[in-house]
Formats: sequence, C-alpha cells, structure tokens
Amino acid sequence: MTIKKHDDSLFAQLLAGAIDRREFMRRAGTISAAPMLMKGAAASGALALAAPAAGAYAQDGDVLLMTVNNEQQGTWSRNFNPLLGEGSSCRWPTHFGIYEPLFVWNTIQSEAVPWLAESWAFSEDNLTLTFNIRQGVTWSDGTPFTANDVAFTWNLMIGNEALPGNGARTAAPRLASVEATDDATAVFTFSEVFTIGLYPIGAQLIVPEHIFSTIEDPVTFVNEEPVGTGPFTEVARFETQIFELHANPNYWQEGKPAVQGLRLPVFPSNEAVQLAAVNGEIDWQANFIPDIENVYVSADPEHHNWWFPPTGAVVHLYLNNAVAPFDNVDVRKAISMAINREQIVAIAMFDYTHPADSSGLSDAFESWKNEAATGADWVSYDPDAANELLDAAGFARDGDVRRTPEGEALEYELNVVSGWSDWVQACDIMSRNLEEIGVRVTVQPYDFTAWITRVQEGDFTMSIGWSSQGATVFEFYRGVMSNDTLEPVGESAGENWHRFALEEVDTLIAAFAATSVEEEQREIADQLQVLYAEHAPAVPLFPGPQWGQFNSSRFTGFPSEENPYAILSTYAAERGIVMTTVTPVEEA
Amino acid sequence: MEYVIRRIGFYALAAWASLTLNFLLPRMMPGNPGDALAAQMQGRVPPETLAAMAQAYGISDDPIWRQYISYIGNVFRGELGVSISAFPAPVSEVIQTALGWTLLVGGVSVVVAFIVGTSLGMVAAWRRGSWLDSVLPPFLQLFGSFPYFWVAMLALFFLGLQWGVFPLRHSYSNDLSPEFSLAFFSSVGYHLVMPAGTIIVVALGGWVLSMRNSMISTLSEDYVMMAEAKGLSQRRVMFSYAARNAMLPNLTQFGMALGFVIGGSLITEIVFAYPGLGYQLITAVRRLDYPLMQGIFLLITMAVLAANLIVDLLYVRLDPRVRRG
Repeated sequence: MTIKKHDDSLFAQLLAGAIDRREFMRRAGTISAAPMLMKGAAASGALALAAPAAGAYAQDGDVLLMTVNNEQQGTWSRNFNPLLGEGSSCRWPTHFGIYEPLFVWNTIQSEAVPWLAESWAFSEDNLTLTFNIRQGVTWSDGTPFTANDVAFTWNLMIGNEALPGNGARTAAPRLASVEATDDATAVFTFSEVFTIGLYPIGAQLIVPEHIFSTIEDPVTFVNEEPVGTGPFTEVARFETQIFELHANPNYWQEGKPAVQGLRLPVFPSNEAVQLAAVNGEIDWQANFIPDIENVYVSADPEHHNWWFPPTGAVVHLYLNNAVAPFDNVDVRKAISMAINREQIVAIAMFDYTHPADSSGLSDAFESWKNEAATGADWVSYDPDAANELLDAAGFARDGDVRRTPEGEALEYELNVVSGWSDWVQACDIMSRNLEEIGVRVTVQPYDFTAWITRVQEGDFTMSIGWSSQGATVFEFYRGVMSNDTLEPVGESAGENWHRFALEEVDTLIAAFAATSVEEEQREIADQLQVLYAEHAPAVPLFPGPQWGQFNSSRFTGFPSEENPYAILSTYAAERGIVMTTVTPVEEA
Repeated sequence: MEYVIRRIGFYALAAWASLTLNFLLPRMMPGNPGDALAAQMQGRVPPETLAAMAQAYGISDDPIWRQYISYIGNVFRGELGVSISAFPAPVSEVIQTALGWTLLVGGVSVVVAFIVGTSLGMVAAWRRGSWLDSVLPPFLQLFGSFPYFWVAMLALFFLGLQWGVFPLRHSYSNDLSPEFSLAFFSSVGYHLVMPAGTIIVVALGGWVLSMRNSMISTLSEDYVMMAEAKGLSQRRVMFSYAARNAMLPNLTQFGMALGFVIGGSLITEIVFAYPGLGYQLITAVRRLDYPLMQGIFLLITMAVLAANLIVDLLYVRLDPRVRRG
C-alpha cells in the first residue's frame, strides 16, 4: 500500500489538512513542497512555457466559456436544487447562475440592487412588506415568472423546516403569511415586527411553482434539468469531472449575459486549483493564496489580477466571559492593548487587510461607523498602558507571570483551528505579545470540529474566531453582545461564543429590528458601537479579506479596486451582478 | 480442510470487527456534518440555515446501539445509505463513479510494477555482479525511499507544469466525453501516465530487490545446477527452473498489493486530481459524511480481507506444509 509505505503522519496531515480552502497554506507550513516549487517557478518566469493548452482550454466549439472555480470536490454529482442552500450539495452556479433572488445585496456599495423585484416597501406598522415583482421575466422554459412563484417558494420554505434555503430560515419563523395578491405583487405579513427580515427575504432564491409543485420531496429533489430565471440555465454537458452551463436564451436582462457559458472542471484541492490558476486556465475564482504577487500574479502580470477588499466579518479574539478574570473589562482591554495588530496583519495576513477599529465593524459598514466609537485606545498597541491597567486592577506581577488578586496565575490556552495557518500565525504572535504583559498563553490547535464544538459550548478560555455579519450591523451586535444569542456554558451557541450580553443592547437591537427608517437605524447603530467600544465584549483583530482573483486574458469587466461595482468573490451574492457584467475580450 | 474452515472463521471474525470499527470510528470524531459545513462557510451562513441543513441530511438522534443494528442490517442488504456531501445521491452511486478510476490507476500500477520489477530482479540475479545488478537495485531503492507525495509533486511540477508533457489533472481530456473511441481511450492512457508512473517508480525497487534476493538463493539450489549440467539453454534454466520458484514470495506480495489497490492510490489521486475513491474519501472526511466514509472504508477493508483470504487459500495449494499446520 502506497500510503503505509511512506509516512503515516503525512496521511493524517492530508486528511486533516484537506479541511478547507486553506489547505494550500497549510501545506506550505507542513509539507512545503508545492508552494516552494510554485514560488521558484514564478520567480524564474518559467511558467510561461506551460501556457500552450490554456488558450484551447476554454474553447468548446464556437462557444467561449468562462472557467470558474468555487467548490472543491472529488467528482461532480448532478444537483441543481437551490433550496438546499449555499455550500451544500447543489452545484455552485445553482445560486445566482440558474436561480435568482428578489434583490441582490451589494456589500461593497451597501445597497440592495433590485433583481426579480423592482421595488419594495414596509407598511406603516412594519408588519407588512410588499414587493413589486418585475414583469416580463420568463423562466428558461418560456413560462412567465409571477408573484405566485414568490409566494409558492416562501410557503414551501415555511412548511418545510428541513429546507435550508439561502436566507429564508432567519425570516420564516417570523412570517405569518406570504401571498401573491396579483401577478405583480407579493405580500409578506410578519407575525412580529422584524424589519431585518427584509434582507433574508430579498436574498432567498425563487423557484418555479410549475416545476416544484409537482415534486414529492423538495429536500431530496436533485433537479437535473433546472428551469430558472438566471443567466446560465442550460446544462450543456455534465460529467463527473466537468460540467458546462450555457446562457439562458430567455434571459430577462436585455443583451445579457455577454458570456456564452460557464465551464466548471472539478478540482479536488486548493493545490490543484492554484496550479491551474497559475497556468492561466481559470478565469474567475476566490481562494486564499499566500504571497499572491509572487505566487500568482508574477506568472502573468498582465492578466492575473486579485482584489481582497477587507469587507468580510471581523476576526476576533474571544475571551470567555464565563471564566474569571475575563468578565473584567479592564482585563479584556489590557489584553487587546497588548496585541500588535499591525504585526499580525503584516505577517499572518500578508497585508491583505488592516487592523480592526474599536467598533468591531468591517469595511462593509464604512458609512455606518461612528467616530465616537472607532477611536477607542484599547485597540492600539500599547503594552505599557496594558501593564498599567493590569497593575491598577490588582493583577500583580509574580516574576514573569501576573496573578489574580486571588493568587491564580494568568495562564491560558488559546484555541485555534489546526491547519488554518493564517490564524495559527496570528495566535503565535498574540501569544508572544501577551508575554510582555505577564499573561502566559499557549496556542492550542484543534481539528476544526473539535474547535467549533468547544467554542459553541463555551468550553474554552481564549479562542480566535470569526463573527457574524449581515446586510446591516444588526447581526454583528446581536451575535457579539446580546441575550438573544447567549446560551449557558455547556449548551451549543451558534454565536456569542464568549458569553457576553448587555440588556441595553437587547433593547437597542429590538428597536433596530422594529423600524424600517434608515435614519433611526443609524442612530441605534451609533449607540451600539459606543457600547461595544466601552465594554470590549471581544477583542477585534482584523476585518476578513474577501478573496477573489480573475484572469483578464479572455474575459473583462470583473470588479476591482478601481471599479468596485461589486465584490469579486465567487461565493458572494453579488456574483449575480458579476456574471451578467463580465464580457469576453474583443478579438483583436 | 480443517485449516480452511479455521481461516474462513478467522476472516469472518475480522470482517465483523472491521464492520464495527467502520461504524464507530466516524462517530468518535467530534462534531457533525452541520459543523463541517460551518467550517467551509466560515460564518457566511447564519446558524439557522445550518440547523436546517443538519435536519435535511437526516442526522440521526437514535441511540447508538439502534443505529448499529440498522447499520449491520443495511450492510448485509447492500444498502450503504445516502451520502451527505453529494446529498441526496446514494453512497453506492458515489462510489461507483469513482471506483473504476481507482481500480484503473491502482491496478495498472500494481500489475506493471510487479511484472517489470520481477523481471528486472530476475535478470539482475541471473547476471550477478553485472552493471545492471550493481546499479539498478540501489538506484531504485533510492527512488523507493523518497516520500511518494514528493516524487508525485516533482513529476507534476516538471512534467506537467514546466514542460507540459503530461496533463495536470483528471482522467481524460475535458474536450472529450466518455465514449468507445480511440481518441477517448488514448486520452485516458495519456492521463494515466503520470499517476501510475509515479507509483510504479516508487514501488519498483521493492519488487526488484525481493525477486533478486529470492532468485539468488534459488540459483544455488541443486536442481538448478542439475538443469545446467543437463545442458539446458540458459533461458530455460532462468525462467522455468529458477524464476518459477523464486517468484513465489513476490506472488504472495502481489496478491496482497491487489487488495490495497482500492485504498492505496489516495495521495496519487489528490496530487494529480484524479477522480478516484481516494479523493472521495478526503471529501467525506472533510465534510463528516459518515455514510460515504463507512462505504469507502468498508470497500477498502473488504478488499484487503478478500485478498488475504485468497492468498491464504492459495497457500494451501502451493505449500503442503500449511495443510498440516
């Protein structure tokens, strides 16, 4: 057996390392062969030699197809059921390629782009939400699309709790009814005021009633011949190692899509994707690549582009408030001040992002930020001030380590997911930083599932982790400091892993979800930011970069820093906008 | 006969033990498929949606013993359940799509490595002290002691990426569809060169060395000298007298190696993006797809057990001493 023959630990590493998109990085750390090779090749410029196949790669007869990678799989299985939810077993283009939502939330522009709905409005009492459905849209089989399809989709979601959908689940429990009053009007009636429900409702993909009403079980429906309203609905080819979707002949956006089709070869791992990307075979993808200028761009500086806007949820250091002394705000702030975020961003994140501010919000909420909250001193690196703060709080030094007033040494484990090398590196830096203030931290890597079980059940003292982010600031503050998401230690909590809640926050987020007036929401958001800055419920590190790379040799019009009409990431909802905006490069 | 019954009894016990382990191991891993999905999405999906997914996948809350009983029952009915990562495709279907490619790459490499390695070992022993004998075995041993993934990545980088001699991935060209045509089969062969070739290069040394050593001891047997004394052709002595007997240990190993074909080309498949079972197993582990993991482990363990059983039974025929054992 080939495996036994060599190195069992390698086998184990491969198994563990294959956990996610960061495997590439992980290998860089543990096995070190692939990226080293790539760097070497990129530096010598030798990669240009390998390009011959690339031109022919995207050609399929007369159709110029765009090669995209988002999912990593061993083989493709044919499933185009959009109700199964993003990232599950339905193929990537199912969402936004085949099926479309009422509106697309544009993170970077912070606005809702009307899609299958032309406009929408809340009633005076905010209990009724009315969507004016776009007219003249047809399903790819020619059947007209109407508000009945919208009502049907929602009633299906409400009646079947096992359907994940892509947004519906957060709104469904608060809906009393969904009706189509005529072909152009869909009315959502809430059982309680919940204006935030607008966003999940707008995001949910709409399925055709005339197809989905005839199927027995929408959960196990694989939908091999999809009928959608989206730009790419025609399955031209489906094999276990590649599939192609061609353009919808009846697409409602005049003259779109300019791209004739999508082509999705299967890639089992990040290494395989990166190899193809460096080789110029992938037009559009969203992957973490370490040292991207050397690894990817230098292979073809003219065409290889990337854009990682720091608009993703802010990565935090969570201090478990259920464990003393982390229930002490001065301790949390001292720890935050001891952390050198500049160093973390430069070394662990390759300068792809920047240090977080004291509002805990990412760049997606630039226009929402309250200057009274973003400038707090506890997020700037200042070990002297941190030491003073701890001295004053009664945590006296005893040699290298401080002790609590009760005499317990400040020695903790910092949990991290093994193999997520950017996080591991960030934790190593924090561990060294914290030594300076007499807090001894041992970085403790766990396999992903072990890590998430621990954070969710509150079975940790310190852990790095992501945070929640929605269309508004509501999700973030609800997740990081409200009783809505608070669970006792020992019970699984999807958010609020650090067990922190303020009653003032509960009142504020309830008020936020009770109004549909943006000015009022902004006012509440200002207060929430101030509370966050005052209490430091968790330690914000840096906003997550949203990965995205494109190759401009065959297609053009991708979003970029110069033209930020949407986010470049293939996993973002805005991919619907990108897919319909990109055009083939004119043959010279 | 008693020996045979005892062996079969032993294998039945081993099969039960491996079935049970197959059942227990995935469940001893922390977390559930919903968590694994959360890892992939890294917080981009709200907790409510993840909960619905766990429900859709039918994650069972039954007590563990009841799950065990229904699992054993299903295995005997040939039902392996529904895959979670390829939901709602049945596990047997997922395995089917990948099994052929694994058998191809694993089978070809084991058979070629066996035939080439055994022949080289035979010739090396016959021409003891020759150039072939003094250079080849150490050289192949050297190759064999490189970590396999390193050889594979090197091949992928130089032959695939740098010089573009062989394709970087997949089992056939993406411009073709599976069909009975020369173009398709030659594409399959072309795509097989690097994955199978690297396994062969690494495995060859073992075959050569064991054949050479056993051949050398056979060559000093009296009946070989007798054959030479009779004036038989060198060829005949080498093949029919010496090699035929010297090959036995290698044949045993070959039987065992065939059993490992299914689980053995895991790293190959990952490095060369070859759509076989090895990668399916990685996907299954990554997404905590218990049913698929169980199905693949079952296939691997059963293949190994079956290969061992066949080798054991063959021994009964080949070696009379075992029968008395």
